[in-house]
Amino acid sequence: MERVPNRRTFIKAAGAGTALVAGFPAFIPRLGEAADTIKIGIVESETGTYAALGENQIKGFQFAADEWNKRGGVLGRKLELVIEDDASDPGVAAQKAHKVIDQDKVVALSGTISSASSLSVSGVSSSAGILYIDSGGHTDDVTGKACHWSTFRTCHSTWMETHATGLLLAKKFGKRWYFITPDYAFGHALEAGYRDVLSKIGGTIVGNDLVPLGATDFSSYLAKVEPAKPDLLLVLQQGNDAVNCLKQAGSFGLFKKVAVGGPQVELEPLWSLPPDARSGFWGIEWYYKSELTLGRGNARAHAFVADYSKRYNEPPTARSAFGYITIDRMATAMAEAKTTDSVKVARALEGTRFSSIFNGEAYYRKEDHQLMWPMWVAEIRPNGTPGDKYDLFNVIDMAQPDQIEQTVAEKAKVCTMQYP
Amino acid sequence: MKGRTELAVSAAVLALLALGPVLSPSIHIDVSIMSEVLAYTIAAMGVNLLLGYTGLPAFGNAAFFGLGAYGAGLSIQNWHVHVLEALLIGVLTSFAGALLIGPFLLRRRGIYFGLLAIAFGQVFYFIAYRFTDLTGGEDGMNFSRPYLGLPAWHATLDGTGFYYFTLVLFALAILAFALLVRSPFGRTLVAIRQNELRVRYLGLNSDRFIFVALLVSATLAGLGGALFGMLLNFAYPLLLDWHLSGDFVLISILGGSGTLWGPLVGSAIYVIGKDIISTITPLWQIFLGAIFVACVLLFPKGILGSLAVLLGSSRTAPPDAHEADRDAAAPAQFAAERHG
Amino acid sequence: MFEHVAPELFNGLVLGAFYAIVALGLSLIMNLTGTINMAHGSFMTLAGYLAFSMVASGTSFWFALLIAPLLTVAVGMLVERTLIRPLYKREPLYSLLLTFGLSLIAEEAFHLIWGANGVPFTPPPSLAGTIPLGFMAFPAYRLFIVAVLAVALAALALVLTKTRFGLRLRAAVQDTEMIAAMGTNTQLLYTVNFGLGIFLAGIAGVLAGGLLGLSPTTGNTLLMPAFVTVIIGGMGSLFGSIVAGILIGLTISMTTLFLPAFSEVSMYILMALVLVIRPRGLFGEEGLFG
Repeated sequence: MERVPNRRTFIKAAGAGTALVAGFPAFIPRLGEAADTIKIGIVESETGTYAALGENQIKGFQFAADEWNKRGGVLGRKLELVIEDDASDPGVAAQKAHKVIDQDKVVALSGTISSASSLSVSGVSSSAGILYIDSGGHTDDVTGKACHWSTFRTCHSTWMETHATGLLLAKKFGKRWYFITPDYAFGHALEAGYRDVLSKIGGTIVGNDLVPLGATDFSSYLAKVEPAKPDLLLVLQQGNDAVNCLKQAGSFGLFKKVAVGGPQVELEPLWSLPPDARSGFWGIEWYYKSELTLGRGNARAHAFVADYSKRYNEPPTARSAFGYITIDRMATAMAEAKTTDSVKVARALEGTRFSSIFNGEAYYRKEDHQLMWPMWVAEIRPNGTPGDKYDLFNVIDMAQPDQIEQTVAEKAKVCTMQYP
Repeated sequence: MKGRTELAVSAAVLALLALGPVLSPSIHIDVSIMSEVLAYTIAAMGVNLLLGYTGLPAFGNAAFFGLGAYGAGLSIQNWHVHVLEALLIGVLTSFAGALLIGPFLLRRRGIYFGLLAIAFGQVFYFIAYRFTDLTGGEDGMNFSRPYLGLPAWHATLDGTGFYYFTLVLFALAILAFALLVRSPFGRTLVAIRQNELRVRYLGLNSDRFIFVALLVSATLAGLGGALFGMLLNFAYPLLLDWHLSGDFVLISILGGSGTLWGPLVGSAIYVIGKDIISTITPLWQIFLGAIFVACVLLFPKGILGSLAVLLGSSRTAPPDAHEADRDAAAPAQFAAERHG
Repeated sequence: MFEHVAPELFNGLVLGAFYAIVALGLSLIMNLTGTINMAHGSFMTLAGYLAFSMVASGTSFWFALLIAPLLTVAVGMLVERTLIRPLYKREPLYSLLLTFGLSLIAEEAFHLIWGANGVPFTPPPSLAGTIPLGFMAFPAYRLFIVAVLAVALAALALVLTKTRFGLRLRAAVQDTEMIAAMGTNTQLLYTVNFGLGIFLAGIAGVLAGGLLGLSPTTGNTLLMPAFVTVIIGGMGSLFGSIVAGILIGLTISMTTLFLPAFSEVSMYILMALVLVIRPRGLFGEEGLFG
């Protein structure tokens, strides 16, 4: 017998439901807020595959916004972050971008982790003529063929990652390389970058395993590495794939037999790995505990690290830095331009040299809006240091941005920008 | 519902939908979300046809949805077609997909049908991911909104314009759907759901009916997908993923499987609910899962289905969508089927 | 290339054994009541997380390996009793949707409790390292997995053939009405059967935690391969699940060697082929599920 709710309960429930749905908008806290704030939309991965990274980017955004608000905000108005979850799905990201632009009337946008989301959000923001600073999506296209006058990027590009690590690792270990490559766009881009490096230094590829999407077991690929006798194994996976691959590489004892490295690694996935899988030489985009990354005597950087660690009980990661730098520079540009108008803020952002929580100075390049700041290479310390279990990186080298990113001329072949 | 009342209700619903963009600012629901509701509704209508009317678990519709989006996107990117052409090509792509895998699906019924659909969908998903040069891979494919293609008017549709475009297509789709399910063809599908063996004994080739139903279902999903892709100006592999298929099935059941307007109700609740809840809390997925669970346990007939039963009307009450003439508990029945 | 075949075969067997145990749990649950448990992956992940928390607070790995699955079984039986039992009167579609909804809730719950980032679950040092096998040095942990699976299989076979419960279970699968008429509490049987399937999931989950990263989404990545295994093996056949698991493991590892791009898709293609040529699966029974 089918269980159909009785008529009265149903009508009551329907009535309550309708009232709830109709009145829902009233429950959304941000409506009826102080009208005179500067709203910045944050489309970020709070759930899904990228949640761990997204959470730290959000913390960075929030930190910078709070810092500015303590000083009275921008142009006399407080900064307000309107945070929406893209669920690690680029379609949702695009819809949320629409939402914050049309409904919340944000004056600028930031966020995203996955390259797909960066591209889809950039598409929406550029159609609307609203400034968007991509905080964490690495694909070259954001400042390449999909570049736009209103789109900027804080984190390093894929090209920068391969070139920062490639040159140094070849020097250290040799030029016979073996790749384990995720068989999709991102992996191919990394592979192409490394091939470019090898062509410049005369190296060889002794093996390249394309690992298809969804593979959780890397044993078959890892078993082939040692017999090929490479100088260096480059693992191009990221995120969960990298975790699986490294964990299994560790269990095969591969780290003791072959030098292992890669274009980029982050603290978040490393913290989720057992010590015997934490090994190798990797590109890193920022680090909380090295003079090479923070800059000697950089009081601001040290203050950021100290305050953030106290507030969140965890040291800031590169993701936190992306968030912080992005909002900080956005606010600075608004203050300089004395307006929140996207065109004027974009003009104020580009080209301006500034120092922040890292070593040296940087600027958002005028021709493609990529943030030109250094990248570093580090060796992993499996167990951290005696006083600090988080301290996994021993930073050994730094690469300057103009040496690792494509030149303006090369970029001009794919990127042309037109201001309205 | 009598014919005239039904027509009046339908007209009222469409009128309300037409007011969407006007109401948008006051109800704080973006026009692009409204377009999404309609696109998803069309896809769910495809599921409804297979699940609600024909009694087959349609778990592969995201594959056709995604094919529609990619078809439209590829044609825009490579051939710079106009909006109607892009739509047509998207729909044809899904249709072709259904022609390709249909014969395989036809061999099975029940849950095998559903699982085969998922499997083929996953193959399309992997293809979209792998062939980056063609599809943009996991970065997805950005394309611009196509032009209207009208000789005098070289323009593209903005948000509100696109919503009305989608609404017109939705109206046509639901009209076609209504005519289809009331036709002898539609009646045969319902007969197949109730007892396929009996239909075959009557001399009808149930396979052919199911195949056509599958093609129509895929076409609807493709239409929804092409519209959605053009809404976002973006196509990406997750549109082909089986989780989205599951969402379409939920929408169909939530609204009322086997009813005409069920998919719209389900889609509105799902899309708008998800959008609003995810703004309020990052824990929205728990609410979504809870809705799934509650719907299955308490409202298996969905909202319109339960409403129809309550109001006691016999014509639109979906003849119990998922139970044929059974009286025993399913496990016993299940075992009995095995036994003999 | 051919010197790689032997190690690859071995890898495939290990991977296959793993899929087999996951599929076994699914199959057990499906055979008796027709329930399609889309939350199977979530139960696996739960067991993994519980084991991690136990080990992190000082318990030994071996203890956790046994207790975490048992705790998961308790949760599983509760879920069966309250949420799944009402659905037995209906088509399998509903159990599929309900458990799908549960998996969504579970994923978010894991996120809440253990964080979005994965957790570093490690096998104990006694299982670390590699063992030289002549043609390759093989991780001890993987061999351990095979050992555990063999033990679990033997135990399952014993339970099914030599105990009263096993007898009742097999009888119920054949003809539930009859056994109910003979006085067995079929509802209780369903619950315990569900628990048995979840126990296997729990063991697999704890083992997986040491092999893969353990994060809220881990279980879901193993779910589809498990279903594919059950289908290829044939619904209604436990033996089929084992054979299919091994077959899939070997297929994946062999395609990895010769056609890497297709290794993950290969199991779907295999499934499609099997369903077209021999619709009931390799060892399945005719008429099941249509």
